[in-house]
Amino acid sequence: MTIDFGIDLGTTNSLIAHYKEGKVEVYKNPIGWKNTLPSVVAFRKDRVIVGDKAREYVEKDPSNVFGFFKRKMGTPETFTVPNLNADKSPIELSALVLNELKNFIVDAPIPDAVVITIPASFDTIQSNATKKAGYEAGFQEVVLLQEPVAASLAFANSGAETKVLEGQWIVYDLGGGTFDAALVKLEEGEMCVLDHQGDNYLGGLDFDNLIIENLIAPYIEAHGTFQNFYTDLKGKNGRLNRLYYELLFKAEEAKIQLSVSNVAEVEIETEDDLGNDFECVVPVRRQDFEALIRPKIESTVNMVLSLLETNGLTPADLNQVVLVGGSTYIPYVRAQIEQALGVPVNFSVDPTTAVALGAAYYAGGKTKQQNTNPVSQTLAKGSIEVNMAFAKTSQETTEYFTAELKGLSKGMNYRITREDGGYDSGLKPAQTRISEMLPLVRNAFNTFQLRFFDAKSNLIHSDASPIGIIQGKYNLHGQPLPNDICLEVDDVDINATRLEMVFEKNSILPLKKTLFRTISRTINKGSDDSVIINVLEGSSGASPSSCLPLGIISISGRDIPFNLVKGSDVEITLEISESRDLKINVWFAMTSQELENTFNPSERYLNIDKLRQEVKELLFRARKNLEKLEQREDYERAGRLQRLRHELEELAGMLPKLMDEDSGDLKYQMEEQKRQIAQSLDLLFKVDRTEAIRETYFEAKRRCEASVESIDSKVYKTRFEEIIKNEREYLNGDNIAIIKHKIEDLNTLSWEIEQKNPKILAMYFHYFSSIPNDRYLNPDKAQQLKDIGEKALERQNYDELTSIIYGLLAILPSSEKQSAEVAALTGLR
Amino acid sequence: MSNLVNPAILTIANAQFNLEKKLAQSVGDGMANRQVARIKNALESLGLHIQDPQGEVYNETRTDLEASIDGPSTENLRVVSVIKPIIFFKEEQKLLLVQRGVVIVSAV
Repeated sequence: MTIDFGIDLGTTNSLIAHYKEGKVEVYKNPIGWKNTLPSVVAFRKDRVIVGDKAREYVEKDPSNVFGFFKRKMGTPETFTVPNLNADKSPIELSALVLNELKNFIVDAPIPDAVVITIPASFDTIQSNATKKAGYEAGFQEVVLLQEPVAASLAFANSGAETKVLEGQWIVYDLGGGTFDAALVKLEEGEMCVLDHQGDNYLGGLDFDNLIIENLIAPYIEAHGTFQNFYTDLKGKNGRLNRLYYELLFKAEEAKIQLSVSNVAEVEIETEDDLGNDFECVVPVRRQDFEALIRPKIESTVNMVLSLLETNGLTPADLNQVVLVGGSTYIPYVRAQIEQALGVPVNFSVDPTTAVALGAAYYAGGKTKQQNTNPVSQTLAKGSIEVNMAFAKTSQETTEYFTAELKGLSKGMNYRITREDGGYDSGLKPAQTRISEMLPLVRNAFNTFQLRFFDAKSNLIHSDASPIGIIQGKYNLHGQPLPNDICLEVDDVDINATRLEMVFEKNSILPLKKTLFRTISRTINKGSDDSVIINVLEGSSGASPSSCLPLGIISISGRDIPFNLVKGSDVEITLEISESRDLKINVWFAMTSQELENTFNPSERYLNIDKLRQEVKELLFRARKNLEKLEQREDYERAGRLQRLRHELEELAGMLPKLMDEDSGDLKYQMEEQKRQIAQSLDLLFKVDRTEAIRETYFEAKRRCEASVESIDSKVYKTRFEEIIKNEREYLNGDNIAIIKHKIEDLNTLSWEIEQKNPKILAMYFHYFSSIPNDRYLNPDKAQQLKDIGEKALERQNYDELTSIIYGLLAILPSSEKQSAEVAALTGLR
Repeated sequence: MSNLVNPAILTIANAQFNLEKKLAQSVGDGMANRQVARIKNALESLGLHIQDPQGEVYNETRTDLEASIDGPSTENLRVVSVIKPIIFFKEEQKLLLVQRGVVIVSAV
């Protein structure tokens, strides 16, 4: 068996990578999804933190937070930790970093053997100290590998084929805080480091500070009222200390941006010395940045030259320079090295992960000395009994968690993490009672995991189940909606309206949603035509008139300053409070008009115009369908429909008695009566409607399937399969709108494919040509297009023919059916 | 941080957040507010959940934040300035952190 796992235990950052079936992969931290783990350990009051969070406390709590301990490996120096009242050795701190890296492994058992990289400068004692750290972290076998060799292996194995590195080369490693150069040679098939040089205090962080000091600060001083900007920024207790941290972040972003652009912009917002707001955008130019870092890069080049000279070599003896470390992303660095040494630079591998990748490649070919079982799948001995207590729902942003533990042994720790990666308690000593304040993501179901570890960080079995807490609106104490809440929108194709679901049944109040829709027909200024925003309660699959109206807002042509053109935007915000008040806010982008009303469902709001329209529409529908049923000799349903028609006619007869400002119960009674009739009608024709839409669907599917088969394209085939995925569910469901969307999607796809088929295109063109010119909106234009189309067809120019077909389509008036009853629609889609 | 969301979408989300913050400082300009709300709505429909941690309690367990500590104290910290918001990606009711909030925290 091979070792397969490689660790880059770095001075500033550490990484872990895995070799599997010929490929290597760097693991990401499950908390924060970064490849790198800062090699920093913090001993906070009651917990141990490793990584990003620990690094945040380095400057502010230096006596309890430790970084750069790699430099002390192999020395007797220890670090006193006031919070623990104990000392920690560099080995112990390194072991904590290694243990944390084990948590990155998600797809394999925790290994018992590992390759760990060490700097070329490490002597035997330092190397042994690193091995010991590996053993303390629970690994039973530790193999060491020099960093420059690891990096070289990564480069050698990059690309499709393994490349043979020949002769000798330089590994140039410029990271965030350190620089190392190593001369590597291939001798009898073995890579070895001949010599090395470095600077432990040179790296990318220095470049960020140079940007702030030399480019940003002088610009701000020149453009604002600041006496001592830089001192206020960096001085102890300076007025602008807070801004400094922001600038550090932005300077780093600018530096990254300069790798691909000539100028990066840094936006600044602060207060000047007089207390006034100061805003500016500082341009950071690549040439200025390069001038700033030039001396630093020159010093690294000089170190490389000196390294060569010491070994009796010149740059001409090198085959290449291999670049490692994040700062080698900077194009200027690459160019300077290439120019100064006259040797090609190799940056074909991600310089931040190269060492870890190389370590994993090495591990993949390294056989384990002993055969031991992996640790994690057979959990460490012992089992902890956990008795948890916490609130399952919460309106707070943090929630108290406590648990009683049984079966603990000495040195055991626990750790709680939130599933989304946004919370980590760190390792805390496990006692018979533990407690924690858990931060919650707002309006979400938060899941936490409680895990236990022994003194060597091996996972221990427990009976703890996941901790699930609902925050905010999902609070189960809230009221669920008894029915769907829908908006009535136009279905222009069938000249009717349909329901669009806004809030689903059983959603928990309060609810809020903003919808963006367009006007489906032009509303002329001064006309009686109107746009109606009608919110209803009922099943989203039913027809609008069978649902309970909750609130309605309308705007007529008389209320608008100019025409509301078809296609213009409408923004509708619907809000339902816990006490079930419905607030509708509508904003018409074109006229900049805003309408708002709060509807209390206990006061049913009725628009009499709307009621009249609906009764008229229902009556029309009933009459039309009655004829059909009689033709089909379906006398049973015809009889039921006849009775409904009679009721509707009675209702219609009463309508003229209704006054617009009627304050009595009559309108509510009539509305209720209409709703019941509509529900009965819905029921009577539901089967027909569903059948009809299904038929249309299958027709569209057949057409699309034939089109897809006529063209050999995997892309179209995948799109077709994607559309018809879950076909069974939506065809058997009662939401007709979904089936209609599917029909639209299928037709769109068919048309896209048909455009590529000359025969079908010609067929379309002939169809449009056969329509007499006087039926087009612009007969002259129609003739002109037909003539050009004929020529395009002769020349077999199908792209041109497609545009001609579109042109003819554009000047063809909308079908007649749209005009007659369009006033009954909402004007919204 | 995560491959789940296209980095360009995260850039739009950050720009939307900054615009919203900026507009909140000024009065009026309903049109701009509406357009920014519209972008947010579109981002949410893609599954993004943008959270402003301004004023929230901060301690070392908040792995959803990348913090710089302003001032000498490391206790009773709160977020005093937000450079980037926290962004979650919601997939099938499950949240995943795709961008840590970048903040400055200070003792209160």
